[in-house]
Amino acid sequence: MSRPARIPNLGGAKAVVLHRPHPTVNALARQLAAIGLEVGDCWPHLPAEALAADFVFFDVDLGFDEQFPWKPGEAPMPLVALIGSEAPGRIEWALSHKADAQLLKPVGTAGVYSALLIARQAFEARRRLADEIAALEARVAERQTIVRAVAALCAKGVDDERAYAQLRSLAMNWQVSVEQAARRVVAMATGEGDDHTRRA
Amino acid sequence: MKRRVEIGILYSRSGNYGLISESCRLGAMRAIADVNADPESAVEFVPVERDPQGNADRYAPLCEEMLRGSRMRHVVGCVTSWSRKEVIPVLEKWGASLWYVCPYEGFEANEHVVYMHACPNQHLVPLLGYVVPRFGANGFLLGSNYIWGWETNRVARDLIADAGGEVLGERYLPIGDTDVSRLVAEIEATRPDFILNNLIGSSSYSFLAAYAELGRRDPHFAPERCPVVSCNLSECELPALGRNGLGHLAAGPYFRDVARPDPAAPASSFQASAYASVRVLADVLAVDQEATFADLSGLFAGRTFATPFGRTALDPHTQHATLPVEIGRIEEGGFRVVSRTDAVAPDPYLSRYDRAEIFGRPRLKVVS
Repeated sequence: MSRPARIPNLGGAKAVVLHRPHPTVNALARQLAAIGLEVGDCWPHLPAEALAADFVFFDVDLGFDEQFPWKPGEAPMPLVALIGSEAPGRIEWALSHKADAQLLKPVGTAGVYSALLIARQAFEARRRLADEIAALEARVAERQTIVRAVAALCAKGVDDERAYAQLRSLAMNWQVSVEQAARRVVAMATGEGDDHTRRA
Repeated sequence: MKRRVEIGILYSRSGNYGLISESCRLGAMRAIADVNADPESAVEFVPVERDPQGNADRYAPLCEEMLRGSRMRHVVGCVTSWSRKEVIPVLEKWGASLWYVCPYEGFEANEHVVYMHACPNQHLVPLLGYVVPRFGANGFLLGSNYIWGWETNRVARDLIADAGGEVLGERYLPIGDTDVSRLVAEIEATRPDFILNNLIGSSSYSFLAAYAELGRRDPHFAPERCPVVSCNLSECELPALGRNGLGHLAAGPYFRDVARPDPAAPASSFQASAYASVRVLADVLAVDQEATFADLSGLFAGRTFATPFGRTALDPHTQHATLPVEIGRIEEGGFRVVSRTDAVAPDPYLSRYDRAEIFGRPRLKVVS
């Protein structure tokens, strides 16, 4: 059993600030260093090393898609938007990058710590949700396989309810999901051996 | 010719935590007198005082009243974190700095504040590091109902879990509330190894009186077996405790050790810290007469200052002081220092907290 970490251990975490040289960068870097992070800044492009950063702060006022070594919305770490002008087009662009938190410019001493914690939590929640959705989609995609497996078992002379119960108990005995069991049953029924038909 | 510099003094001279305020104020006033009497000093401080009378809502307007229309840019003041957070927007508006001389709960590094007393890695973490191996890891947490108690107890919950212990209870009283019977009944029922006391002022004094009574009834609650431990208790409150404080423990950057009495030494860590703040400010103004908040971190970098704590460094990133950490036990006549660590660098966000360093290897626990 793991208990949620409460002392948020940010010591030694790496933050990259994607912003042209500006007092905002200095204020932000000061506060990040005070919290214990290692800070680097760059403009206009994020270098490959940024992929190893734990947080990326990016300028919304002058930002554009090609700055990032990933597609909009697919950043592999929490993003914090640095918003100066609250123009709707710029906000929309920041949203397209799925910023997990935001700071309004000029950046002062307040707000940086909460942005870090909020961004990290939002990013992790988003990633967990995406993983769950991917797993559920994979299962939904196997519906047809289950129908075929039940049909194959019915062919041996049981009714469909019974066949489905059999499939579930096979899955339990094999210690695999019902979907995987269904693939094996279908494979056996069609004489293909084991589940070479596995989908990615 | 010395330059006259106005310095704000913002302490409540009445109200719930009056003893602490008075100790802070005394330290600041003593340092002002010493700076002014020193012919070598570049400045002569002119204190300007306001008294919020223990009312958190009075701090910001009174601070603004001092700063508005004056050249004053430095204020020594505030005891509770609540009042400190109230004045920060005013400091930001007027480009002023607050020299804050009380222990606080950490997780702040405002460039308008100089933090001259301990943050959690200089009080709570070493205090529990001392207490757990000697008394046990199961704690009961108390606090006054505002940010100091909430945040300190929150970190304590984590530390106790890291030490392999359990939090047997966590209770809060409104500031000034002295009805402690329910707390004491719960403590008696849960039999912890220690009690972390983040109550302030009269609530704290009432609790210690009731706890002493409990200790007379049940030897488990004698201070040798189950001490009350605090991060903010100092000599200045001992008169309010009488004999009820005897045997209990506190952490702080300084105690006037009963084993080495020195009448010239500061009477409490609050007084020492306020004294240190004014002396550091005088040293800083000697280098840059016009220094404001924005210049402080540059003026702190790469040097130390003579203070009652010894040679004191101020971290230019966080503006927190590197301080000794002492654990004191209350005896007749004051505190006896039972543990001391020199020069502990500040870590206000506990970014460098390492469980193994404080509590050793985690104990094996049965997990089901």
